[in-house]
Amino acid sequence: MMPTNLITIGASGARAARASIELTAQNIANAANPDYARRRLNTGELVGSAVIDFQHSSAFSGTRIGGVQRADSELFQLRVRDSGSDVARATGELTGLKAAETAIEQSQVYEKLVAFEASLTRLESDPTDRALRTATLESARQLAQTFRFADTTLEDTRASLAGELGARVTDVNVAAQELAKINGELVSAREGSGGRAALLDARDAALRDLSDEIGINVQLDEFGTARVTLDGTPALTLVDGTLASTFSAQVNPDNSVTLAVDGVTGTANTGAMAGRISALGRISALQDELDDIATSAITRANTAQAAGAALDGSAGQPLFSGSDAGSIALTMSDGAGLALAPAGSPAGSRDTGNLGNLIAALGADDGPIAATDRALVSLSSRIAGLDTTREGLVIINESAQADLLAATSVDLDSEAANLVRLQKAFEANSRVIQVANDIFDTILGLR
Amino acid sequence: MSSISNSTGAFFERSLGQMTGLRKSVEKLQTQIATGERIARGSDDPIGASRLRALARIEAQGRTEAENAQALGQDLAAASKQIEGVVGLLQRVRELAVAAGSDTIGQDGREAIAVEMEQLGEELFARANSQSLTGSSLFSGTLSGAAYSRDALGNVTYQGNGQSGAVPVAPATEIERGLPGPQVFEFDLSGSPSSAFAVISGLAAALRGGVPDPAAAARDAIGGIDMALDTVNRSQTVIGTRLAWVESIQVDQQDRAVNGARQRSDIADTDIADTVVRLQQAMTALEATQASFARVSSLSLFNAI
Repeated sequence: MMPTNLITIGASGARAARASIELTAQNIANAANPDYARRRLNTGELVGSAVIDFQHSSAFSGTRIGGVQRADSELFQLRVRDSGSDVARATGELTGLKAAETAIEQSQVYEKLVAFEASLTRLESDPTDRALRTATLESARQLAQTFRFADTTLEDTRASLAGELGARVTDVNVAAQELAKINGELVSAREGSGGRAALLDARDAALRDLSDEIGINVQLDEFGTARVTLDGTPALTLVDGTLASTFSAQVNPDNSVTLAVDGVTGTANTGAMAGRISALGRISALQDELDDIATSAITRANTAQAAGAALDGSAGQPLFSGSDAGSIALTMSDGAGLALAPAGSPAGSRDTGNLGNLIAALGADDGPIAATDRALVSLSSRIAGLDTTREGLVIINESAQADLLAATSVDLDSEAANLVRLQKAFEANSRVIQVANDIFDTILGLR
Repeated sequence: MSSISNSTGAFFERSLGQMTGLRKSVEKLQTQIATGERIARGSDDPIGASRLRALARIEAQGRTEAENAQALGQDLAAASKQIEGVVGLLQRVRELAVAAGSDTIGQDGREAIAVEMEQLGEELFARANSQSLTGSSLFSGTLSGAAYSRDALGNVTYQGNGQSGAVPVAPATEIERGLPGPQVFEFDLSGSPSSAFAVISGLAAALRGGVPDPAAAARDAIGGIDMALDTVNRSQTVIGTRLAWVESIQVDQQDRAVNGARQRSDIADTDIADTVVRLQQAMTALEATQASFARVSSLSLFNAI
């Protein structure tokens, strides 16, 4: 055993300790980086052995610096991705529906219908009063405007949702291409290198981003490359190795959405994309409901008008023109035209028989007022339900994220402890070199 | 090195989540107190919001019905006042008829009575054609225009119809607006239709010498006048009853409005005491979390190196 060996051992230990300190510093520097998984340096014992003249001889040679080991947890990554997709889906649908709820509630369709009904009831006390008739006509005009306003805001909500859907398609494609590029680099990255650990960080971050947008299933191979299929039927492959397919989402005229990967159509079960598609369908149904309500108001008012006599005794003319919420308009210009008396009544009749029919038709259980309330209740209930579901999903997602962070992220306290430990190790190795030096001096000093 | 550690990131993430949640609930409670409304949008409480809409509709209906009841009350009061005038007028006619029926009164006296009676006939005609505050005839049924017209010969004819029209003043309650003229001024006199107008103008004509024995004619006319008085009194009872009905309905309407407001408050208003306590609770929790976060996050081994 030569003292020179001792120096080599001390030097290798000092080198390993210094490399570990460097990695610890790297961990500390990235403590606030959410995509960063903490690293550790693998070290191994180095023993030189040789066979000389049938005599086995081995020589201790210190320690060997192995590869960079990256903390990882496939299970937690999967849980974070899946619960993230669920949260994004609920959030996407909720955002769209809340906008629709605001559009309907702010336009005050229900309030204007009730105001119109009330002004008609007021006419019962004095059906020939011109002022009351004019007030009723103005109330009808406001109602028509309100329907058109609600229709416009609802259409704006739908259009912006459809626009966002289109914009997010680009995000999905960019993330898919990014992932394909990372896959390509992973294949050529050396096992245990710092570069490979950084690529794996980037891969997991890209997968999480992608899963927020659209639900995915991920298969990892021995190089760590990810094969991504969409969570839907059929399971379309978005990224395979270095090949990223083109994702597309087409909003159809009936507001359904056709999802396709490289032209093959499929579905999306989770992710913000699925939430937006669901909200788009719901808003479209809501537009139909609003149209039905407006049509019902138009038809009922005009039917009642046709069955009555105006103030001058002439047959009642239509009150509203148009056929749905977008086209409803007041066509009567003079309150005297309101046909409050039954058909055949003389001019100036104070008979309110027909007015009673009109009020009853508007307020009926299958009339526009009740239908508006039903539409609002069903929309609000859906939103309230979604909100509750979302809260639950957020808790699941948060706990999954906490688990993932606990498993892979940097713990400053343990890094501080490592720092002290490695510093001591470095100092100890320096001591070993010094001891070797002393031994050398002692040997050389023999005479 | 174990694969599980208490990572610094997880600690900050967890603390952030807790504080965000607490701050959200503090903000929501604060908004509820500031606006006084528990339901800011339909999805906060879908059923409550629907009940609020139903209540708003009932309240709008109630306000309209209250206005209708007030207008109806005015119409009925106007009709009642006119009928009261007619009663006084007919009583005066009866006194005059009794006086004219005395054989001791001379032709001059009867002439004077006839003049007064003709004036009373005019007043009766005017009262029968009187209008409501909004300008519609009180006794013409559901038709517009004057209730009675008079031809060159002085014959008075009804121009309205037999309907009086009803005004809704409460759910499922409609009160008729007034009485058509015939129910107030016309009656059957020994089998043939007659009216207060006919009785008065007939008597005045008789007193002016239209018949051989005016005194007897005046005595005979008293039966007709009594009949007219009976008819008018009956209609005044009807109107008076309706007026009382409207008044009791108005009291009901006020009760219903108060009741509606209370229900609305129960559903929509913030329970201030409850909310303030909850706010205080959430604030305490938030402050405690912030303080402990500051303490715990400053605990780092790096301070010891």
